[in-house]
This record gives sequence, C-alpha cells and structure tokens, in this order.
Amino acid sequence: MSVELALALIAAGLVAGFTAGLFGIGGGIVLVPAVVLLLGFDQHSAQGTSLAVMIPAALFGSWRHYRRGRLEPRHAALVAAGGILGSAAGGLLALSLDEAVLRRIFAVLVVVVAVRLLMPDGPRRIVRFFAGSG
Amino acid sequence: MGMKALAAVGLVAGVLSGLLGIGGGVIIVPGLATFGRLDQHRAQAASLAAIIPIAAIGAVLYALDGELDLLAAGLLGVGSLLGVRLGTGLMHRMDAAWLRRAFGLLLVAVAITLLVL
Repeated sequence: MSVELALALIAAGLVAGFTAGLFGIGGGIVLVPAVVLLLGFDQHSAQGTSLAVMIPAALFGSWRHYRRGRLEPRHAALVAAGGILGSAAGGLLALSLDEAVLRRIFAVLVVVVAVRLLMPDGPRRIVRFFAGSG
Repeated sequence: MGMKALAAVGLVAGVLSGLLGIGGGVIIVPGLATFGRLDQHRAQAASLAAIIPIAAIGAVLYALDGELDLLAAGLLGVGSLLGVRLGTGLMHRMDAAWLRRAFGLLLVAVAITLLVL
C-alpha cells in the first residue's frame, strides 16, 4: 500500500467519524461511499471493510457505557440474538448480488439518511404515529 | 420489555448490517427506546454492545469471500476514532441545523453518483 493511499484512508475515516459524531448518523453511511467514490473500492470490499471498522468502535463505545453503569445486558443480548441471524442472512445475500445492484441498494439507504437530515422532524412524527405516544 | 419485538429489531438491523455493511444503530437505537423502554443513553449503550457480534458475523462472511481489507480497516479505524471525538465535541457546542441540511444535500449527490456510476 502506498503512503498516499494510507493517508487517504486515514482522512476518509476522519471525515466519516466526524460526520457520524456531528450528525448522530452511522459511520458506515459515509465510510462506504467515501472509499467507493474517492478511493475506487468495489462495493463489496467497501462494505466488508466498513463492518471490520465498526467492531473496535462498538467495543470501545460499549465499554465506556458499561463503566458508567448504562449497559443493559438482557436488552443487548436479545437484539444481538436476532441480529446475528439477520447479519448472516444479509451478508450472504449481499455476497451473492452483483456489485452494481448492491451499489444501487446502498444508494437507497443514502437517500433515506439524506431525507432524515433534511427533514429531522418529519420521519420522527411518522414513527411516533405508528409506535404510539412513546 | 417486548422480548420478541427486541429480537425482531435485531433481525431487521442485522439484515441491513450484513446487506449494506453498516452497524445497524439507525434501527436498533429507536427500537430499544420504543420496545425496550430505554432512555437515549441506555439505548445507545445496548445498541453498541449488540453491534459487536452483528458486525463480527458480517465481517467474517465478507472476509471469507476476500472482501475485507484488514489494513485499510485499521487505517480507516484510526481516522474515525479521531473524527468521532471531534464531531461529538463540536455537536454539543454549535447549532448544526444549516450544516445538517448542507450535508443532507451532499448525501443526495452521493446517492445519485452511486446510482449512475
């Protein structure tokens, strides 16, 4: 790997982390298109690499919450139980899809996040309507 | 606490995570707040803990297919740890309404580029 590419990857991570923290969105939503559009990754390896980036970030973040006594293990375990099944299914599906198809599906997710940023109250009102008063 | 509902939230988030290479917190945090009756901090904490195995399963599947660049992940991770600290620090200090909108528009452009690429 060239020094230029290494620096570009650190910069892409910096931008993804910065926007995730500033706007309260997931890091992957910026990370994946950044490495696809700016660094020429194909969609599959961008997504696989993005998943690997999440693991230490989630470990670090949940450890900090745990020390403050905010981690509810039963809640986490229930979500994880469903989540492991789902991610295996989703991962196998993604790997079976054509790169261009997968990229277009990802583009739909980017549109959803863009709408949430442009209309922060709109989607929340809709969720409240369906979920009851909360 | 709706146990089935929480497992279902995990299932949906997991499918999106594996399919799109994201963490799934976008689904899990509001799901835990609604069905698990957790406040924002506790919902985020449980979400991050659940994302560890969810992302790990996905990462292993992609790696087995040769679609995971570990060195790139390490470099991206170093950058993003710094970035998150800067971003969250700034979030508490500024009104980011116009910045949110500008970034939303940038994402629309990103989506269009991904569609026509």
